[in-house]
Amino acid sequence: MTDTVRLIIDGVVHQVPKGANLVDAAKMVGNDIPVFCYHPKLAPVGMCRMCLVELGQAGIDKDTGAFQLDDKGQPAIRWQPRLATACTTVVTDGMAIKTTTPQVTEARDDIVEFLLTSHPLDCPVCDKGGECPLQNLTMRHGPGESRFLYEEKQHLAKHYPLGDLIYLDRERCIQCARCTRFQEELVGDAVLAFHERGRRLQIVTTSNPPFDTYFSGNTTDICPVGALTTADFRFGARPWELTGVPSICPHCPVGCNVSASTRLDRESGGKIVVKRIMPRQNESVNEIWICDKGRFGHHHSRHGERLTQPLIRQGGKLVPATWDQALALIAEKISAADGDVGAIAGGMVSNEDLWELRQVVENAHGGKDHKSLGVYPYRLSGAEWVAKVGLSKGSNFGQMGKGTTIVVIASDLSEEAPIWYLRVKNAADRGAHLITLNARPTELDRFAKSKLKISYGGEIAALKSLTEKPEVKDAANVVIFVGGEGLDRAGHATLMQGAASVLTSTGHAGKVNNGLIGVWAGANTQGAFDLGYSSEATESLLNKRPAVLILADADIVAEDAANVSLLAHREGKFTVVSEMFLTATAAQADVVLPRQSFVERDGTVTSGERRVQRFYTAQTPLDGPRPDWKVFAEINRLRTGSKPKLSAAAVMKEITEKIAAYKGLTYAELGKVNKQFPDVGGDDPYYGGTAYENKGGLGVQWPTEADQGKVPSVSMPAVGKARKLESGELLIVPIVELFDRKPAFAASAPLLHSHVPAPYVVLNSGDAKTLNLVDGDKAILSSGGVEGEYTVRVDAAVPAQTALVARNLNLKSPTPAVPMVGSIRKVEVVASHV
Amino acid sequence: MANILLREKDIPGIGQYDTYVQHGGYDGLKKALGMKPDEVIQVVKDSNLRGRGGAGFPTGMKWSFVPKTEGPKYITVNADESEPGTFKDRQILEYNFQQLLEGSLICAYAVQASAVYIYARGEFWDIGPHMEAEIEKARKAGWVGQNIGGSGWGCEVYVHLGAGAYICGEESALLNSIEGKLGQPRVRPPFPAVAGLYARPTVINNVETLANVPQIIVQGAAWFKSIGTEKSPGPKIFCMSGHIEKPGNYEFPLGLTFRQLIEAAGGVRGGKKLKAILPSGASGPLLPATDKVLDTALTYEDVAALGSVLGSASVIILDESTDMVWATLKMARFFKHESCGKCTPCREGTYWLLKRLEAIYAKKATPADVQLIEDVAKQMQGKSLCALGDFATSPVMSALKYWRDEFLAYTQPQKPAPAKAGKDKVVAGGD
Amino acid sequence: MLAEKYQERIEKIFAKYPDKRSAIMPLLYVAQEAYGWISPEAINEVAALCQIDPTQVKSIAGFYTMFRETPKGKYWLQVCNDLPCALRGADQFYQELLDYLGIKDGETTADGVFTVEHVMCLAACDKAPMLQCNFHFHENLTMETMKALIEQWRAEAKAAQGK
Repeated sequence: MTDTVRLIIDGVVHQVPKGANLVDAAKMVGNDIPVFCYHPKLAPVGMCRMCLVELGQAGIDKDTGAFQLDDKGQPAIRWQPRLATACTTVVTDGMAIKTTTPQVTEARDDIVEFLLTSHPLDCPVCDKGGECPLQNLTMRHGPGESRFLYEEKQHLAKHYPLGDLIYLDRERCIQCARCTRFQEELVGDAVLAFHERGRRLQIVTTSNPPFDTYFSGNTTDICPVGALTTADFRFGARPWELTGVPSICPHCPVGCNVSASTRLDRESGGKIVVKRIMPRQNESVNEIWICDKGRFGHHHSRHGERLTQPLIRQGGKLVPATWDQALALIAEKISAADGDVGAIAGGMVSNEDLWELRQVVENAHGGKDHKSLGVYPYRLSGAEWVAKVGLSKGSNFGQMGKGTTIVVIASDLSEEAPIWYLRVKNAADRGAHLITLNARPTELDRFAKSKLKISYGGEIAALKSLTEKPEVKDAANVVIFVGGEGLDRAGHATLMQGAASVLTSTGHAGKVNNGLIGVWAGANTQGAFDLGYSSEATESLLNKRPAVLILADADIVAEDAANVSLLAHREGKFTVVSEMFLTATAAQADVVLPRQSFVERDGTVTSGERRVQRFYTAQTPLDGPRPDWKVFAEINRLRTGSKPKLSAAAVMKEITEKIAAYKGLTYAELGKVNKQFPDVGGDDPYYGGTAYENKGGLGVQWPTEADQGKVPSVSMPAVGKARKLESGELLIVPIVELFDRKPAFAASAPLLHSHVPAPYVVLNSGDAKTLNLVDGDKAILSSGGVEGEYTVRVDAAVPAQTALVARNLNLKSPTPAVPMVGSIRKVEVVASHV
Repeated sequence: MANILLREKDIPGIGQYDTYVQHGGYDGLKKALGMKPDEVIQVVKDSNLRGRGGAGFPTGMKWSFVPKTEGPKYITVNADESEPGTFKDRQILEYNFQQLLEGSLICAYAVQASAVYIYARGEFWDIGPHMEAEIEKARKAGWVGQNIGGSGWGCEVYVHLGAGAYICGEESALLNSIEGKLGQPRVRPPFPAVAGLYARPTVINNVETLANVPQIIVQGAAWFKSIGTEKSPGPKIFCMSGHIEKPGNYEFPLGLTFRQLIEAAGGVRGGKKLKAILPSGASGPLLPATDKVLDTALTYEDVAALGSVLGSASVIILDESTDMVWATLKMARFFKHESCGKCTPCREGTYWLLKRLEAIYAKKATPADVQLIEDVAKQMQGKSLCALGDFATSPVMSALKYWRDEFLAYTQPQKPAPAKAGKDKVVAGGD
Repeated sequence: MLAEKYQERIEKIFAKYPDKRSAIMPLLYVAQEAYGWISPEAINEVAALCQIDPTQVKSIAGFYTMFRETPKGKYWLQVCNDLPCALRGADQFYQELLDYLGIKDGETTADGVFTVEHVMCLAACDKAPMLQCNFHFHENLTMETMKALIEQWRAEAKAAQGK
């Protein structure tokens, strides 16, 4: 129970949390004090003056703590002569405010009128119209008629690009600074600022690149007017035409709750389509933020190159077939394989899909065989440690601060899981002790109390040293993120064990705001682990491929060229691929099944924090593709005569009965919503956005063993031998870049294409010098028999004899899946004759 | 009586270190260093010295708010003199700088500050090097730097030049400006005494205020209180400008009348009749030249009783030829230009007032517009983040109070075509 | 460029403050002296020196009127015509000055020698009409003394060009 104090609002005494400001405190007890500049996620600044209230202090009897009473028996209050801004006033016991007096009402009317003198009032053509705080508050407080002459309004730029993602309408801007403060306070990247002063105050950026951060779209949500709009949605639809369908972002393991704004769309032939993706409030997951990849990455669902028909290989070519033909063929091949069947699932295969796929494999085996269920990518593992000492149920990064130590090892969270980056950064701002352990600089280092530089291969030794650090040993809470940079599968499994050991040996397991997080590669990698899939299985399936290999959303060729030969069409081998697009992997298949995108069907996914969350059908599905779970269930019916389930909910019900961790997690349970603070959804008139409200459920985190009182004793793995490199050898280390060229993403977000860097390799300055390479040179990188051309970047902070290569940028010549020794040579530019 | 603040009128060259020392310079600091810091604060408190920047807040009390915590504390000297009609601090900086420096150091000692930042408006460009040279002389003599006067206490003094923004005279905007941020006011609390410059305890005093301090320490609180009136003790510099025969700075004990002050400055220029007085630059309400006003004593309380403010005592004289609409427009233009834009009422209100005043002055407005500017000014009052929003209303409100007819005379009964700004020659370059 | 050319001055500036951001204003003055105005490269250099985003430096440059964000004439004349100066003839003086140079408020002469602007109070109300030329004050001006100054500056500009 938090401490409360007495706040008297319009004569009524309320109990409100100590330390809250007046706007928040009043809101909690149902009194809406209007605001423009104030936002509960940002520090108050008192700029717009909309929240002016009469402020007073009741006399308190020192002995009894009771209010001193006036002659009418009411608390005796001393009122201040001037109105005060509620947002900048922190409540103290006995504080009193008046919010309905003529003085306060007039002040609000006055401020709205002032703001409107500089506002174009172009609501009829404004994207924000319908979910605009200024519009809403004008309805309440605005003058019926303007006393300001239209001719005297300032005329300013209406379509000023702050980058290529966000446009600024300078006439609409009311100088509230929410966007500049979001960038400076929350993101830590102050690329927006005011220029000039007084009535000329304008938002500018002169940064290079300009307003181009992974979080830029959020500024359009918190903008209280239509000044900031995304290039993706501008003039796309009117908010009142849109229905918000709850969904989960498919791009990374954070599991951001999103809202797909849909409408019946004329351009799409009267179908219901997604017009934009907005954050949906879940204070435990993404609060009210999403990254730009999630926001803009939804166009693949309507992409013209989507597969709509099953394809069957005939005469060396993939030709269209009916579902019946394709599924009959698969069933036949499985039956003929005599148990030699395996499946690999990628990052955005739902729990229901995974479950039915598992039935296919298990039926073929005549029982359980987890060795044939693989996850992709498979470089990350050690999920058993998450099951034991994963981030405890009920943990929330939004509540972490002083007393909590957060360790990030072998991961660049800003690229791999942007919202985790944002929340860890803000926990650090609130006083959490952040330790980063990486072999190269990462964005989070800027906010870390200690940056421990490690060498690739030195991870375990570094973890070991942590157990002795007072910031870990004596911290109230410890959370450890374990990434896989510089590691192979076995290395990552060992590192996960090491992290588990740090947590258990320092007593930080099984307590809220403590535990381990694996920085998985996919949105439902955790779900795959939970349902019996593993990286070890993938490794063995790829080493010795089964007669029938089913690949669901696992583009194994694009991510590792070594796999091309694996799929090469050979007698007695049969490959089934379920994909949305004809990927490099699908092109090698014997049967290709068209998948549905995440907005076309429902299901559940499990986030990296083990939160099982529902997503709902948002868009009219394309004719043709079917949900994977249905497809796999049909294969089972054909093979065994089993009765297929009729809905994803029914599949989930079975999961809850068979998988202990998921016990009780029915759709009804996952769809529950509790009241959240800040209250930004629903009909809230001034925090903006019609999409924030969570109508789809907050999801449920399944408890770890430690949560259930079974804290294991975990030994620290032995420090392995560091990789020894010969002189002149280079270790190629694949790293993650958020915006890459994976087909699904490339089709997803055309707006971000120009933000995807050309394939690059980062070298230490010493190595570059030895290799006679400078910044911007072109070089050929070879590893594992694959060669590719890359642009050289020189960075003194990269370890020697190391070449960092971002994954999925050069699809023609994929980077190795895991670190590997390779070499690099300069591309000599031959002068051409003109 | 000898000048206490404008000492160069009696002793040429007093602003130079050597001359200053020959005339008792640094005796105040020497004496202060022999006292406990709290005793120094007590003397200033007892003197009832009030801030000379405009607000008139008791100086000693301000110093006493500084907590006795460890870690850096700062003094900032407000030399951002930018109010139209105010040019007194500039004279001290140019001609009596050592006295300000000594006063700042006494203040720094009293609150145990480790550095003094003198924030001078950027337009005092040529005074900057002079100040820095004089600081160096004081440093060589042991008054700046480590272990000052053998006390074990040390203090640095730096000059920070502004760059053209009236708002930086507002103390929290001034702090932001030194910190390299926009010169926009901060929300209080926290107050600067607790979390000021670099979020450390900070005292912000006006130049003239601090220039009083050395003599208060040397001659005592009682001496200071013997000058001026009981509630407004001490000497004060009066800046005389506008339609006055001999414009310039005049030092008098607080308490002389407007009439005496105007006579001292040679009377209204050309023997014309006095029409109005701005007692505190553009931000203090206008006063009509009635006998009651002219016989009012120049003290904080007496001028306030007239419905205006003594403020910085920047007295602008307007003679009978002055067009009050024009004068109001000039001031509206100033406030519109200097509004920092942070808060709504000031940012939007100053623009709106200017636009309508321009229309009235261009004879393109109706009587309703005269009412409108009064309404807009009222609407701005009491709502802005700092005092500038209220200042901006005072020329309009006070001009309408006394000279409403002049505004109405400019108007036309019918609604005329909209005014175009910036076309009028007399208000060259309307903003 | 600034870092090398003004190394000593820059070090002195940084030594004054506990926080690098505080050096933005003084460094903008240095940059303005070096480049004649606050050019985009000046913004970037100051930002790099202060280890801050260039947008923040641009913001500071835009807030204060003494930083010129566009190139100006060699002699930047800023005439105060605020109320106290105007009561002593500053408006008329300003107009005559503009007429003499054949330009309008805020313009630069065709030869690029003079930019003339009106500014707000410069704390020289008792010495009106007055102006600052490249930040140096010239007070108690008449059109006669002003013309003499103009011709003197014009000659200096010419001489400098001839070099």
